[in-house]
Amino acid sequence: MLEAKNLSKTYTSDGVAFEALKEVDLKIAPGDCLAIVGKSGSGKSTLMHLLACLDAPSSGQVLINGEDTSLLPEKKKNALRNEKFGFVFQQFFLNGRDTVFENVVMPMRIRGAGGAQISAGATHAIAAVGLEDKRYKKAKDLSGGEKQRVCIARALVGNPQVIFADEPTGNLDSATGAAVENMLFDLNRQKGITLVIVTHDGDLAARCSRIVEMKDGRIISGGEQS
Amino acid sequence: MKLWDMLRTANRNLFRNKLRTFLTVIAIFVGSFTLTLTNGLGDGLRTYVENQVKNIDGANVVFVEKKIEAPAEEEPVEGPAEYKEQKAEDGSTALDPNSFTITVPQMEAALKDAGDVKSITPNYDIHGEYISLDGEKKYAAGLGMLSEGMTLKTEAGKTIGGAEQIVIPLGLARMLDSNIESLVGKTATIAYKDADKVLKTLRLQIVGVATKGFMTNNNSFVDSQTAHLIYSDQQRGREEAGKFFRFTVQMASADEKAVEELKQKLNEKGFEGTTMADRRKRTYDAIGIFKIGMSLVALIALLAASFGIINTLVIAVLERTKEIGLQKALGMSRGRVFLIFSFESILIGFWGALLGVLGGMAVGTIASQYLMRAYAASFEGYTLFVFTMPSIAIVMTLVCLIAFFAGVLPAFRASRLNPIEALRYE
Repeated sequence: MLEAKNLSKTYTSDGVAFEALKEVDLKIAPGDCLAIVGKSGSGKSTLMHLLACLDAPSSGQVLINGEDTSLLPEKKKNALRNEKFGFVFQQFFLNGRDTVFENVVMPMRIRGAGGAQISAGATHAIAAVGLEDKRYKKAKDLSGGEKQRVCIARALVGNPQVIFADEPTGNLDSATGAAVENMLFDLNRQKGITLVIVTHDGDLAARCSRIVEMKDGRIISGGEQS
Repeated sequence: MKLWDMLRTANRNLFRNKLRTFLTVIAIFVGSFTLTLTNGLGDGLRTYVENQVKNIDGANVVFVEKKIEAPAEEEPVEGPAEYKEQKAEDGSTALDPNSFTITVPQMEAALKDAGDVKSITPNYDIHGEYISLDGEKKYAAGLGMLSEGMTLKTEAGKTIGGAEQIVIPLGLARMLDSNIESLVGKTATIAYKDADKVLKTLRLQIVGVATKGFMTNNNSFVDSQTAHLIYSDQQRGREEAGKFFRFTVQMASADEKAVEELKQKLNEKGFEGTTMADRRKRTYDAIGIFKIGMSLVALIALLAASFGIINTLVIAVLERTKEIGLQKALGMSRGRVFLIFSFESILIGFWGALLGVLGGMAVGTIASQYLMRAYAASFEGYTLFVFTMPSIAIVMTLVCLIAFFAGVLPAFRASRLNPIEALRYE
């Protein structure tokens, strides 16, 4: 469903070109649970950004269900991210003054969904992360683990096909981190949501069904299968 | 994102930093407040003048004066212009190039072939001495003539409609009798001095009491025949007798085309014709310019305030960089980000304008009342500040528009944020 073909990305700053990604090929099947691992600077985040259409490649293609995303206009890409992808980041990016509910439904609001739809989606997503009793709490009053669960609910609310998680447990202690991990893996197993986790946490990666290891902008293992 | 959601988001964003928003709104408030007051002042003046001017009206009249020729430009003249001797003898209808006056034969000649003319009244300059009802108690009286075709607005009775009639001002009428209605139909004695300084009297019928206005505050008005009589008596033997600065030409109908044709014809013959509407337009244009001039001061205040909006929003963009990055990552389009920030700036403008307009109206209304109490006698019928819906709507729209333009730069910056960099932003 997600495919990278000969993908390269070069950043230029102050006239110095830096090749973050070098001719990467990768296929991700629906329902995959995939970890992209590597040291910082290995290009794993860049790869995720390109796969998630957050950034445009310097060369090569990203195919989603066989469609070349580089040909899509900005609007379609926005809609694609909104409808097909969910995002969980290391930092929570929650709006502390808003309620759990408002934070969770942000993708629905961006989509322009109606009130009833938003309410139903929120109820479902908040229940999936077990925060029913915190629905109208301000996000700033939550613990770190709860915050990340709000983020998962936010990623989940739009019924995505793929959830991209960038160091989802990086800011959490191991106990709450494990709970968040379980939640993500459950979504993968029970709902068949494709999971793409970027991490340098070996334990987390080991729990994924597939590990793609990166070094210096290239995939050094795990890229060939699918 | 739905429009309503965006508006709600924008409003909520504003109230995140209440103090900063409040201070920015205050700046806009000051500008809108000033603009409301200057507009109110201009409209007050306009309404007053409108009411005053409307007291004397004439739908089918054209005022005729001699055209003031601009000096020929190719010959810059130093010193006085060359004296051109009047070629014709008395009785000629040629215009005297050395004077701005017009004689009756000249006027009649100019209008000879113009159809539709009902009457021609020279502007008789007359001076009264006193007016008395019973011959015992005398009041000083200014005298004026009401030309044929002109009408006066009256508080009692009606305007002049025949010979030997007079309309008296309201102030005088109240002194003569507290029941001004009872004066109508009575006969008054008017006194004036003739050319030999001999006091003469006339008996005229009071037909009406004039409504207050610029021209009707002190003067009594007589019909043109009476005015002619007094004029002839007062100017007898004088050189300037029979020469007038202005004529009032009454048309048979109020047909605009005929009026325009007459003006055109007069223009060709060296005269200038103006109608009541022309005169009014001149006055209103002057008030309009005055209003704009005053509004410029308020606009400068608004300009300064708009930099406050820019500043506020630039900081807001910096503060919310990550949030904007997330929203864009989650599929929010550039246009929507731009719109949300634009709404924020417009809302600042809107709240400031609303408070400014309400504050301005409150202060203006109180000031009007206070001033009226203090100077009621000299400004009867004058409201210092007049607030009209259109001018309030214009202020609101203008301020919101200025606010919008102030928000363009920060909103554009927000819309251009790269989501990845924004999410990485520390």
